[in-house]
Order: sequence, then structure tokens, then C-alpha cells
Amino acid sequence: MTQAMPRKRKLPLKERYALLTRDLDWQPSYVGKEQLYPYTSYEGIKVHDWDGWSDPFRLTVDAYYKYQAEKDKRLYAVLDSFAQSQGHLALSDASYLNAIKLFIQGVTPLEYAAHRHFAYLARYLEGPAPRFAALCQSVDELRHAQTQIHTISNYNKYYGGFHSWSKMHDRVWYLSVPKSLFDDAMSAGPFEFLISISFSFEYLLTNLLFVPFMSGASFNGDMPTMSFGFSAQSDESRHMTLGLEAIKFLLEQDEANVPIIQGWIDKWFWRAYRMSALVAGMMDYMLPKPVMSWKEAFELYFEDQMLGGLFPDLDFYGIKPPRHVGDAIAEKDHLSHQVYKILHNFSFAAAFTTSTPTEEHSRWLASQYPDTYQQLYQPVWDRHRRIEAAGGRVFFQGLPQLCQVCQIPMAFTETDDPARISFRRSDYRGETFHTCSNGCQWVFEREPEKYVQAWLPVHQIYQGHCGGPTVPDVLAWYGIQDGDNGEYQGSPDARSWADWHASNPSPAPER
Amino acid sequence: MSEQATSGPQATPSPQATPSTRRQVGIDLQDAEENRALVDAIRADNPELTIRHLPGLLKLQAAGRMVINRETVEGKLGREWDTGEFQLALVSYAGNFSEWDDDQIIVSWEH
Amino acid sequence: MPVKALYEYEFPSADRAELFGDDQLVYVHWDGNPLFCSAACFRVPQAMPFGEFVAQIVAPWAGSDPDFDPAAVRDWRLFDEPLAADDIRSLHDLGIGHKALLHFSA
Repeated sequence: MTQAMPRKRKLPLKERYALLTRDLDWQPSYVGKEQLYPYTSYEGIKVHDWDGWSDPFRLTVDAYYKYQAEKDKRLYAVLDSFAQSQGHLALSDASYLNAIKLFIQGVTPLEYAAHRHFAYLARYLEGPAPRFAALCQSVDELRHAQTQIHTISNYNKYYGGFHSWSKMHDRVWYLSVPKSLFDDAMSAGPFEFLISISFSFEYLLTNLLFVPFMSGASFNGDMPTMSFGFSAQSDESRHMTLGLEAIKFLLEQDEANVPIIQGWIDKWFWRAYRMSALVAGMMDYMLPKPVMSWKEAFELYFEDQMLGGLFPDLDFYGIKPPRHVGDAIAEKDHLSHQVYKILHNFSFAAAFTTSTPTEEHSRWLASQYPDTYQQLYQPVWDRHRRIEAAGGRVFFQGLPQLCQVCQIPMAFTETDDPARISFRRSDYRGETFHTCSNGCQWVFEREPEKYVQAWLPVHQIYQGHCGGPTVPDVLAWYGIQDGDNGEYQGSPDARSWADWHASNPSPAPER
Repeated sequence: MSEQATSGPQATPSPQATPSTRRQVGIDLQDAEENRALVDAIRADNPELTIRHLPGLLKLQAAGRMVINRETVEGKLGREWDTGEFQLALVSYAGNFSEWDDDQIIVSWEH
Repeated sequence: MPVKALYEYEFPSADRAELFGDDQLVYVHWDGNPLFCSAACFRVPQAMPFGEFVAQIVAPWAGSDPDFDPAAVRDWRLFDEPLAADDIRSLHDLGIGHKALLHFSA
């Protein structure tokens, strides 16, 4: 066996990492530290010893590029075989791709935003070890954006909704949810950014956001998405580690950091959780072959692993579970149903399509949500089905009221009364502001001067900034083309799919 | 400032008083041919391991601590293996990487 | 807690009333109708009579529900208070201001 053979070794891992992250640094001579690193004091965070930071992965430059190259090699092998084997026909159903449309429109631009901001941290954090970790993450995020675009471009040849995601991300109403969250984080200081994106987003919630997407892809015949997903997730594990290392490092540096960080955890848990509501709707309603319900994933990845595992560890430093986490738990039986209802009401103005759940899918939902689905949500879907059987299709003929903080239509209900919409109202400088939940109201009232500036898509349309006053004007400005949107049944994607799978298929025309 | 009072104190669950040795740590690995030997090695070194299959994914969990030994992996693989290669298999985890050196990777809770 | 910034942090609201001139935004929620996910948002003249607002703005939206019956609209509320709906009086005169939330039942 090879294990008995002497190993040719470079320096031990610990030593190589120490050389990279300690010995290669230098002290500034002709400018002061404050000039070189102007952004690390105004948030009130105190750091006494930057060398207290250590990356458990002990990643070095040579190892980083070696493993990243291997990951890319594996991914591109899958992409090649997908294109060669007409993989776009092998999905469970074309409607599955609505989940992937949401992904490239909503998530891929966040990868690029993260790339930019980690490049900034790689320049402006004072310690060489966190700078190097941020640099690797910046390169990772660019790789993610590129591989996602490359992978999903395979579908753009055949299906609608994949063509203008970058423009859409900046303009379309439901995409303002992820965009505004990242804008909020990027316009905060470097330490708040670490707690928002690296800890709250990457460590607390990334599993809930990404793993179901990738398992869903695997289960629905989408090998390329599964491959880029897991390829990205392997980097994500490193990013989670950065988030955890960041919070422990900051908590250990000074006791005065603890309340500041608790405030950021309270804010960013709720912000990231609210954004993940879109994933909840996707998981439970958009996958023709569902993998795991939102509720089960929430219990497994958040309640068990984070509340049960992580927070007792953080209790050692005086950190408590996020404020409002009780509200998130209380609504786990409702969230996905309420979110998909929004998408179903408004998909005439979206770059994806929606459909009333089939009876088979309804049975699955009832089995996953025995306490709520048949009581509250199925009767409404049954009503939609009756209206559709008579030739109708209910869309919301107007624009919704949006939450000032999360920017999701105000569709969430009171945690103790699922029949009542949760309206929260705040007044600031003589103006009324509406939020959807205790969490979003708390976030607003903590920093109202920030959130009054929110670019709320509905209000922007009414101010005349979105192409014109009519729905076709706005859709044109969004970059949504006829057939990208609306009802899935009878859509161009549905018709193409049926045609390609007919017994005598006509040759599939490329779009 | 608020006219509508928010509901009373949050029903925030307090951290369970479970010691770090009993709280579950986890590793999610890609369900792929090239990871079989790695999974076998982890199973061999962590007798209390539970494995759950999800599409494309293996979810490994153990109470308190999970260890991956280079020597065991190499024995199962029949070739040299760098602990850094673990990154190629890893999808996600719960816990801390409390050790990651040339010979061993340990995931555990600390407090 | 004010925003932490390196400079004086003072910016106007993106939806302040003055940007809408003689108009304003009004939200309308149909209580207890789960066919609609949320309240609707409209831009309307402050001087618009309430009856016109209901007939020309609210009804076409509520008609997204094929069972909507304009004659059955009742129990108007402004935020959490009952509203003495009066078709002749303007939104402004009824105290319905910028970004007010109205409820009704049907």
C-alpha cells in the first residue's frame, strides 16, 4: 500500500500558511496606518491583534489554484456532455426551468456583487490573513458568476426568460429583493459586511439557499446546474468558514464588539431570511419533482444545525440567537405558500411563468404541511383551478404594496393569525412607511435614514421612472419579452417542450 | 415612532444546554464515484456516523466531532491523498474546522 | 441607532409626497380575500372624490376576482380606524393622505 511509502513533502501546511499570511506582510513607512486602512475604525469595532485571525483551511496560493482548476475541469466536462447529449430535453419538465430563471436573474448578479466587494475587503482589511481570505473569495465569486452564466447559457438557446438577467436584476420588482439586500450590505462598513454576507448569509443561511437548488436540479434532470452548484458550494464551505472565523475573531478581540455584532446578527439574520422566502416559494412550488419542503429544509439546516449547533457555541461569547428568529420559526408552515401566491398573482410582470399546483402536487404539499395546507392554502388553489377551468386566469390587475425594507409585496400574515396580513407602520420625518413584519419594522426603525432611500419598484413606476405608465411600457423597460412571462400552461416553453417530446417531433428550432 | 406596537417579547428559543460533545456536527459531500473511498474512510474512523442520501448529496452527521484521517483515506483509495483534496468533495458543513493539517481534519463544536 | 458613516448622513426619502405633486400614493387591501396576495398600490389625485376613487380605481383592480360585486363593498377603514366613506368628499378631505392604507370587505 502507498501509505507506507515516504511522502515527498513541501513545508508543512501550517508553516506554508504562516509564511503567506504573516511574513509576506509589511509595515507602511511613508503613510500612516489610518491612511492606508481608512475604513476599519468608524464602525466602532476594536481590533487589537490582526494576527489573531487564522483560516482553518490554511489555504495557500498554490493550493488554491490547483484545486480551483480541478473543480473547473470537472464542471466543464459535465457541460460538454450536456451539450453533446441534448441535455435540454432530459429535464423532468420545462416548467422546472422557472427555478433556474429565478436563479440566474436573482442570484448570479449577487455573485458578481460579492466578487466586487470582497476585492474591496482584500484591499482594506488591515490583517494580511483576512485580506488573503477575502482575495480568494473575490476570485471564487467571479468564478461562480462566470460558470453560472456559462452553464445556464445552454438553456438560453431553447427556452425563454434567460436573455436579459443582468438588466432585469437592476430593474424588475422581485429582483429588487436580492439586489437591495446586497446594496444594503455593500453600503455598510467592512465589518458589518462581514457579519451580513459572510456570517449571516454564507454561514447561517447559505445551505438553505443553495443546497435545495442543487438537490432540486439533480432530482429534475439538470446535471449542469447541479454541477456548477456543487462546484460553487465547495467554495462556499470556505466562505462559511470565513464568516465563522470573522465573527469569532471580532468577538475575541474586544468585549465592546459584542453588542455591535449582536445588532448586526439581529438585522442580517432577518434581512437574509426574508430574501430566502423566494427560495421557499421555489422549493415548494416550482420543482416538478420536489426534493424536500421548505419547512423540512428550514428545520434541518437552520433549526438543527444553526440554533441547535452553532448558537450554543456563540453563547460562550455572549451572543444570543437572532432577534425575531421566533417569528421565522412560527411562519415556516406558511412562508412558501404566501410567496408563491405573490409570484402566481404577478407572473404577468416577471421573466418566469407560474401555474396553479396540479392535484398531484397539491397532495405532496398537503403531506408536507399537514397543519396548514389543506386548511388554508389548498382551498384558494382550488378556486384558481375552477376559475381556470372556466377559461379564466387570475392575475393581480394592479401593483402591490411593498415592504420598505425587504421590498417583497406585503403578503405575510400575523404569526398568530394566518388570515390577517401583517401590516406594520412607522412614521419618520412626517412620512408613513410600511413594513411586512416585526423583523422588517425593527430593521427600519434602527436605521430609518437609510431605508427611506429605498428604490421601491412600485413607487418608481408611479414616479414615471420605469419606461412609461402602462404594463407593456414597463415590461419593455424591464427587458421582458412576450412569452417570458405569465401562465406556464400554453406558454412558448410549454409548447416547445410538448413539441420536442411528441412521437414525431419536428426539429427543435433554436431560439 | 411606531403607531402599531410590535408584538410582545420574541419567543426566541434559548440555546439548548447541550454540551458540545453531544451536538451534531455535519459534513455534506457530493454523491460521486470519486468520493466513495473518502466516505468509507470517514465511516471507518467515526463509528457513530449517520448518513442520509439526498439527490446528488450525502449528508454525514455525528455527535460532537467528526475526524478525517489522511492515512485511512489513502488506505481506502490506494494512492496518496492531500487533506486539501477534501475541498473537492465538500458541499457544506456544520461545526468548526478545529483542525486541518497535513494528516487530519477535525470538525467539532468548541463550547 | 443612527447609521454609522464617515460623513454627515442625510438624504431625502425616495417617495416623499412632494415628488407626486397633486397626486399621492394610496394602498387598498381587500380584507379576507386570499385570491389577492397583498394590498394594491395606486397613484391618485388628492382631490379625487372617494366615490370616483372606488369606481374608477378600486373596482377595476378588485375585478381581478371574477366574483367581485361592486355593490357589496363595505366596512371601509383607514389604517385601523373605521372610515366614514362619503362618495362626494375628496380623499384629502377624508384624511386619506400620502401612503395611507385603506381596507374594505366585500
